[in-house]
Amino acid sequence: MNIVEFKGVSRVYTNGEHEQRALDHVDLSLEEGKFIVVLGPSGAGKSTLLNLLGGLDSPTEGTILVGGKDISTLTNNELADYRAATVGFVFQSYNLIPTLTVIENVALVKEIAPEPLSSHDMLKAVGLFDHIHQFPAELSGGEQQRVSIARALAKNPKILLCDEPTGALDSETGVMVLKLLLSMARDMGKTIIIVTHNQNIAKMADVVVRVKNGRIQSCESQQNPLAVEEVDW
Amino acid sequence: MLLKKLFRTLWQYKAQFISMVLMIALGVGVFLGFNIEWYSLEVNTNEIYTATGFADYRIFSEKGFSGDDLNAVLSIPGVEDATRFLSVNTTVQNDTDVIALTVSENMNVSGILLTSGEAYDEQSPDGLWLSDQYAQANGVSVGDTLTLTYKMLTVTGTVRGLVKASEYLICLPDETQLMPDYSSYGYAYMSPVMLEKIVPAIFKSFIGDSLYFQINVKSALDKATFVKQADAALGKTFLVLSKAETISWAEAQGEVEEGKTMGSILPVLFLAIAILTMVTTMHRITASEKTQIGTLKALGFRDRRILRHYTCYALIIGLLGTVLGVGIGYWLGWFIMNPSGAMATYIDMPSWKLYAPWFCWVVLALINVFLTFIGFLSVKKMLQGTAADALRPYTPKKIRHLALEETRRFKALGFGTKWNLRDLFRHKSRSCMTLVGIVGCMVLLVGGLGMRDTADGFVDVFFNQANNYETRVNLDGESVINAEAEALAGQYGADWCAQSSVQIGDRGFSLEIYSVTHDKVRFPDEAMQFITLSDEGAYICARIAKEFNVRPGDEITFSPYGGDQTYTVKIAGILRSMSESVVMTKAYADAAGIAYTVNTLYTDETEIAPHSHILNTQTKQAIMDSFDTFMDLMNTMIYLLVLAAVALGVVVLYNLGVMSYTERYREMATLKVVGFKNSKIGRLLISQNLWLTVLGILIGLPAGVGVLQYLLTALASEYEMKLSLGPATYLVSILLTFGVSLAVGLMVARKNRHIDMVSALKGQE
Repeated sequence: MNIVEFKGVSRVYTNGEHEQRALDHVDLSLEEGKFIVVLGPSGAGKSTLLNLLGGLDSPTEGTILVGGKDISTLTNNELADYRAATVGFVFQSYNLIPTLTVIENVALVKEIAPEPLSSHDMLKAVGLFDHIHQFPAELSGGEQQRVSIARALAKNPKILLCDEPTGALDSETGVMVLKLLLSMARDMGKTIIIVTHNQNIAKMADVVVRVKNGRIQSCESQQNPLAVEEVDW
Repeated sequence: MLLKKLFRTLWQYKAQFISMVLMIALGVGVFLGFNIEWYSLEVNTNEIYTATGFADYRIFSEKGFSGDDLNAVLSIPGVEDATRFLSVNTTVQNDTDVIALTVSENMNVSGILLTSGEAYDEQSPDGLWLSDQYAQANGVSVGDTLTLTYKMLTVTGTVRGLVKASEYLICLPDETQLMPDYSSYGYAYMSPVMLEKIVPAIFKSFIGDSLYFQINVKSALDKATFVKQADAALGKTFLVLSKAETISWAEAQGEVEEGKTMGSILPVLFLAIAILTMVTTMHRITASEKTQIGTLKALGFRDRRILRHYTCYALIIGLLGTVLGVGIGYWLGWFIMNPSGAMATYIDMPSWKLYAPWFCWVVLALINVFLTFIGFLSVKKMLQGTAADALRPYTPKKIRHLALEETRRFKALGFGTKWNLRDLFRHKSRSCMTLVGIVGCMVLLVGGLGMRDTADGFVDVFFNQANNYETRVNLDGESVINAEAEALAGQYGADWCAQSSVQIGDRGFSLEIYSVTHDKVRFPDEAMQFITLSDEGAYICARIAKEFNVRPGDEITFSPYGGDQTYTVKIAGILRSMSESVVMTKAYADAAGIAYTVNTLYTDETEIAPHSHILNTQTKQAIMDSFDTFMDLMNTMIYLLVLAAVALGVVVLYNLGVMSYTERYREMATLKVVGFKNSKIGRLLISQNLWLTVLGILIGLPAGVGVLQYLLTALASEYEMKLSLGPATYLVSILLTFGVSLAVGLMVARKNRHIDMVSALKGQE
């Protein structure tokens, strides 16, 4: 069953007279519960695709259906509700609130998510239960990224959107984070969409979407994705 | 190229730059404005004192001075010039207006300044030189005829010129009145020739040429020396008052001192806030510019060049703020000191030019040097280390756990509360500055509105309640005997007072002996409660008590003007009083053997029949009307203070609010991405502001009362006011401060609608 459908989606940025077409008539369908990797060089439009799907931005034309619901025409407040209930975000730069502790960063989603999961459980799941009273600045990059994943998961979203989640991490920590994300798809049935330009990550994906110049070059399912340990980092 | 960058960066941080320029402009404006006020008053009053030869000493005699007496005074070494002088209150015929008719033999001493008409002619047989303010208020023009009566005498003269006089710079009939009222009281000068003409021959043969009860003297001698020399020259002890003891000088100087006091508190508050804002903001701006500073350094720009470039920001802000502030200062000075303003009704000066004291320019230069130095230090800090160090983004102070986090109550708090609390403690200087801004706003409001409450209470107690009569009847103290005065009092159901002048040490005060049987006059004690005077002692005003350091139970000695007797009286209590006076009952005065002449009656009767012993009458309403001007002057100051308070609150809170918003931009973008709505993020932002506002109000209320008490203590030599604040003042101050904070909070919170989540979260921290 498709959880995401892009139908003729374009996103055009205008800067004075200059027009930049970040996405150009994109059609794309993604299945629920899969581990999906979106690949492409810098400026290809992959982050734009993720931002549109995450409700951070709206398309200039076309329709985006998530779980059968059109999100391209939602108002600001409806988009906020959508982000609170349906999608979780993981960024390259973690984006934790520096003045809240680890547990508080995760628990804050309780204020907005309709069906939040236990913050303690999520932190246990990412292996950070011993650090719950520390501030983000007291953690390593990998630990901060795991807090960010725990926060995203605590909302109990259908889709987890990850923008270069290992970009700021060393390879060892990156592997740990990817393992964690993969288990979210396999064990919890979440749809994980990772945007990256790292070709290696694609080897472990169920679906690989290649983007270039604002268009979808290919969208291929992999029958036998590699396990994280099998990937040559 | 760097110059282009300079202007573009100014534009980029426009909210902060404009706020800082405004803060400095406000600080400089208030500082300069209040200093211009008192200094212009000093220079302009000095101008009229110099131009008219304002006398340094006044010698008083109850029997008048002869030409020989004048020559004796003129022969004192150190006396530059002197004149015999006469001033009597006359009534305008067919009217109740009173005009102080004045004659001086030598217009070089306490003379007049012509504003229109003919120059003063000392030989004029029928010319009057009338107060231009009185003329304007009553529609009198040059060429008109005025008929004035004094006892049985009638004087008719033609108004030859309109004038101003230093002796009547503050034109009050007596010390019980606060403000001049030119519609009912003025002054006129006539020549000695005219005086000779109107005084009947039979009167002259009786008193000789001693028509003048006063000699005005110009002399640089100190008072003790002059009094000693004058007593020796005249062969008798006379009352001598220095210029500092005249209403004209004392009140004008009081106003100057008041300006200096105001000029020392408010501007310090404003300037301190401006400088602190500058420190906080410059640090924040250079911190966010750190990568650019590092880039310039890495490109090969020398530290000195980069320092110069960034220090220019502070210099530009300082200079712009100063220029704008000087404009505000002169406007403020003009607003208080202009010929059609309320101050002009109080002080009748010929010139209203504005002058700024020289030290203001020095202070302004120092402020600019200091502000530039703040900029310099902020950049210097960012330039430390290698180019690579400078290139690294500024890392804010590491967040630490607060002690209160261990408490159960803290743990139970919502995330928003924790977020805001930690932010407050993490950015202490920003939080403190916000607090200082709110406290400042509150202090100004409580101080300003409280001053009006206090003045209202003062006028109400001293004039409305203490004067429980309808008409005040002034008797001719020279002709009336006490039995006749008491008979008149009986006829009108009046209380009476025998007022005279006495000396305590070498200072002149008023002695007031009362017979109060009809509750027409009341006496407020230090707590502003009316008391019944005891027959067991005398009462002194708070100013005498302070000056001579005496308390109830002590004794005080005084002697009547020009007399040799001395009286020592026991102090029964301390009163708050308009005049500096010793007060006692008739019974106590009789027991102490103090001689007196009844000269004032207080009655509820409004129809007072003409009587040979009655000089004139004054209605209580006329006295109360003169307060309208006083309250106008007060209200002008209050409006300015309220305006300043709101401006201060808005500028400080907006600047710091924008700073807080910028610093938390990324966090708010994260909240938005997570799914928080704009309204919820807005509420989070506003709630921090509101906490600080509540705290600021809690500190600002007592601080405002403290500042007001300080002001009242500083003004105690002029008015014996007691601090009184009405509930409305507290309410309005709190609501206005809260309103300002909320409005600014909303303004800043609205910005979060425009947070661009994508670009905010794109970069690396």
